[in-house]
Amino acid sequence: MNKGLTARLQLVGSYGFLVALLVMVVFPFYWMTVTSFKGEEQMRSVVSMFWPSPVVTDNYRHLLGKTEFVHWFGNSVFVSVSSTLLATAIGTIGAYALARLKFLGRAFMSSAVLITYLVPPSILFIPLYAQIRTLGLADSLGGLIAAYPSFTIPFVTWLLMGYFESIPVELEEAAMIDGATRFGAFRRVILPLAAPGVLAASLYAFTQAWNEFLYALVFITDVKLRTLPVGLSTFITGDVYGWGYLMAGAVLTTIPVIAAYIYLQKYMVEGLTAGSVKG
Amino acid sequence: MSISAAEFRAKTGLEPKRQGPLVAAARLLGPDAKLGYLFVLPMGVLVLALVAYPFCYAIYLSMTRKYVGVPPVFVGFDNYIKLTHDGFFQRAVINSFIFTFGSVGVKLVLGMVMALVLTSAVRWRSFWTGVLLIPWVAPTVVSALNFLWIFDYSLGVLNYLLVKVFHILPHGVGWLSEPKTAMLSVIGVNIWRGFPFFGISFLAGLRAIPAEMYEAAAVDGAGPLLRFRHVTLPSLRNILIIVTLLSTIWTFNDFQIVYILTKGGPGGATQVIPVFTYEIAFGAQRLGEAIAVALYMLPAMAAVIIVLARYMRKGRGK
Amino acid sequence: MMDRRLNDLAAQLDAGLLGRREFLRKAAVVTGGTAAGLKVLETMAGAQGSTKLRVWLFKSFVTAGNDVLEKQVQSWAKDRKVTVETDWATFGDREQKFVAAIEAGNPPDVAEMNILGPMRYKAALKDVTKTASDIAAARGGMLPFADRAMKLDGKYYGVPRYSMTTVFYIRKDIMEAKGLKPPTVYDPGVVEFAKKTQDPAKDLYGFGQTLNRSDDGDGFMGNILWNYGGGVWDKDGKPALATSFHDQNLKALQFAVDTITKHKIQPPGVMGWTDVSNNEAFMAGKLVTTNNGASLYYAMVAKKHELAPKTLLVLTPGGPAGSFVGASCYNWGIFQKSKYAELGEDLIRYMEEEDHFAEYMKVSVGQAGPVYKKRAEDPYWKSDPNFAAILQNILRSVPSGYPGPMTPASVEVGAQHTLTDMAGRVVTAGISPEAALKEAHARVEEIYKARRT
Repeated sequence: MNKGLTARLQLVGSYGFLVALLVMVVFPFYWMTVTSFKGEEQMRSVVSMFWPSPVVTDNYRHLLGKTEFVHWFGNSVFVSVSSTLLATAIGTIGAYALARLKFLGRAFMSSAVLITYLVPPSILFIPLYAQIRTLGLADSLGGLIAAYPSFTIPFVTWLLMGYFESIPVELEEAAMIDGATRFGAFRRVILPLAAPGVLAASLYAFTQAWNEFLYALVFITDVKLRTLPVGLSTFITGDVYGWGYLMAGAVLTTIPVIAAYIYLQKYMVEGLTAGSVKG
Repeated sequence: MSISAAEFRAKTGLEPKRQGPLVAAARLLGPDAKLGYLFVLPMGVLVLALVAYPFCYAIYLSMTRKYVGVPPVFVGFDNYIKLTHDGFFQRAVINSFIFTFGSVGVKLVLGMVMALVLTSAVRWRSFWTGVLLIPWVAPTVVSALNFLWIFDYSLGVLNYLLVKVFHILPHGVGWLSEPKTAMLSVIGVNIWRGFPFFGISFLAGLRAIPAEMYEAAAVDGAGPLLRFRHVTLPSLRNILIIVTLLSTIWTFNDFQIVYILTKGGPGGATQVIPVFTYEIAFGAQRLGEAIAVALYMLPAMAAVIIVLARYMRKGRGK
Repeated sequence: MMDRRLNDLAAQLDAGLLGRREFLRKAAVVTGGTAAGLKVLETMAGAQGSTKLRVWLFKSFVTAGNDVLEKQVQSWAKDRKVTVETDWATFGDREQKFVAAIEAGNPPDVAEMNILGPMRYKAALKDVTKTASDIAAARGGMLPFADRAMKLDGKYYGVPRYSMTTVFYIRKDIMEAKGLKPPTVYDPGVVEFAKKTQDPAKDLYGFGQTLNRSDDGDGFMGNILWNYGGGVWDKDGKPALATSFHDQNLKALQFAVDTITKHKIQPPGVMGWTDVSNNEAFMAGKLVTTNNGASLYYAMVAKKHELAPKTLLVLTPGGPAGSFVGASCYNWGIFQKSKYAELGEDLIRYMEEEDHFAEYMKVSVGQAGPVYKKRAEDPYWKSDPNFAAILQNILRSVPSGYPGPMTPASVEVGAQHTLTDMAGRVVTAGISPEAALKEAHARVEEIYKARRT
């Protein structure tokens, strides 16, 4: 009775919170979408603020037909996926080592890896570009694929260190008693359990790569190799903004990632270790 | 762990074998050394090549007088000393602190509530989680421009809603044209963009907490608040610390939102350190000083990181 | 590459000893004419010579002009049998790209820069005095403002191309409806004009000029100080904001602030404007007058906006000391690190050939203002009455630092938004103009000292 009521109130409160948050989150995106379907004249008037009238697909048609949008998209996908795989793989094993394995220098390394965040990219890119050039990766997508992990790996590592540490040591010990090597225990016991963390970390890395602007702007000069954020920014020329194209581009840039994430939700397993450690 | 040679002799009647140098080295390096070093090697190589060198070069440059295209001239701590007395730098520091702590505080709470709600009994979880990610996943440049338009005094939709639709205010607010509301506006946009990061990280962390721990606490008679304090928070402790720490650093270094919305105005009211750095680096082309601005906070932040890292390590392990 | 015979043939092709067709024929024999082989040959033959020029162009809002630029560069490349990789920088990202590239030792060969470029990147640019003088001589010489802007220590590090300044926009229809004439001075001209034409109840304001950190704001503040006989620097390049020009600057600052606080001829929220806001407001019919670059005019004409025929461009109004406008001068630079300096010079001469430039100028709807005397006489500038204002403004424009020389310090004072911060402090933080002036002067002094060592 009382418990039922509190549970119900809690549910109502929860939904209320979610809806409020949803409105705050979705409204600008809704605004973006509506603007992308508005025609030129309607955009600078206050007529029918919230709905395009008439609905106009020119922006999308121009974007997909007359600009290099499709190339930008392809480049972004390639760079983001590659750098994410790289960052996640490197970060996962690094995190395991720093969290569980005992070896000299481990404490130093875990702090050092984090300190790399202290130099903001907005200034670091200058010496970094020089370094990328020395490695022969200037003006290539490879340069971005190499550079992006530099700011995603530290976080991936630390996040996964947190997850690994929250997994009870007993599980690995149980596996090793059963005859598995350290590496085997890692692969067969720890990794599956840390899957939600690994997924969250790789989503983070992907998002950072997908939206990254500054390095993509500076390291690449070949217009065919542009990524989405840089491509979209070309719709801004001084004080003349191509709002329609910008918003259409933004919509097309955001939706695939959301869709992918909603789909990947399934793989973030719930209630992991329930029952796996007895007594 | 080890006993003295005399004890050993007394106990077993044998002579203690001298430890070979290899064994000593192995003990020093740790039992998991081989696998450990192998696992951190890729990370180490990448960080060394692409972070350590530019990082060190940046630190060096901050102690030089460097103009574009001209070789640097070493000046020691001159740049830093000058900055300490610079009123405009001081203002940027204060603004940065207000911006960062205001934003991170709200993001933390919002993210935590979001994660808790999404692990409770609500339905369509995938949908909510996906949609609430939008601010974080959308390109920052475009979101910021979007908000620029939303905040516009006469043509923006926020004032339109407040004045013409909901009749809450008699006339619009100069969101970006008044110093106080300008700061609130940029903080607001940063919160909008950043809270999903907290939410998702906490969510994954909550999901890793075994259900039985809650059951055990409930059996012991703990209500929801106590369960939160004694089960949730401790389990999330490390994630909490790391996410808050990183978000603080990133928010502190956030350039695009403030630059696009206000460029640091009006009258310098939202001038934060990254914008100041940008002006000196690319407006004035004084790279040495610009890097000094950017790195000014580095020792303090590094100290915080080291302390927190140690704290997190202590709380680990059983 | 694989076969030695192929490599030999390629070398002959490179050296011009072999025609392309010959090459393909002989090489096909070598590769046995396989599809894969032919594909490789295609690419080899296509990449005639290893000469690749990297050219950075400025992407302006005049899309037709950008297309013309690209077309001309590529046709030059074909003519000279070289390949050109063009990259486009826009207003926002230009500096970062230049700085990173120069610091990495990887600048382009040729770059189109704005008026500040030569000064900023002098250390990495080649001295192009000869090219610039040659080109200027054939065109009647540089216009005084361009010469003043481009000459650094008696040399040129950029070859001037065109100028884009601001003008004063007026809603002709509203003006004529009230039987008024365009104002020529700000005070009381623009003030009275605005008061008579505005209608705040209908969301129409007489004057839209932000004092916020932006190109519009910084430009206006610079101009208004000059209009009152003041300025940031004296003719020797020393700080004069609150010293030698104190009285003039105080009056100018007071006027600027008054447009918002006292005369109330500006829309509310104007202090939150960015560069795009006044364009949007004007096009939405909310402003009677505003200052802007010709980009607004271009935008309206290109999109056949209904207000385009109702817009009048006039000389920017002035003050007691005259009417001043900040100068702009887009120019070509060649970087020292370039291996193809002569090719670069050739490209510049090609792009500046009169018929090539005319092609660009004619699609630019008044954006490509003249920098050479002969070009100022082009009938194009009489073809649209609005162009006359653009031309006149250009002819009397002055670079930053006026009446002194343009210096890194003067550039930096602008880049740090010193003047707009000064105005902003009065309008939004409520300090007195006198205090704000002194505060800003201290800042100018700091920058001046920092740049001198």
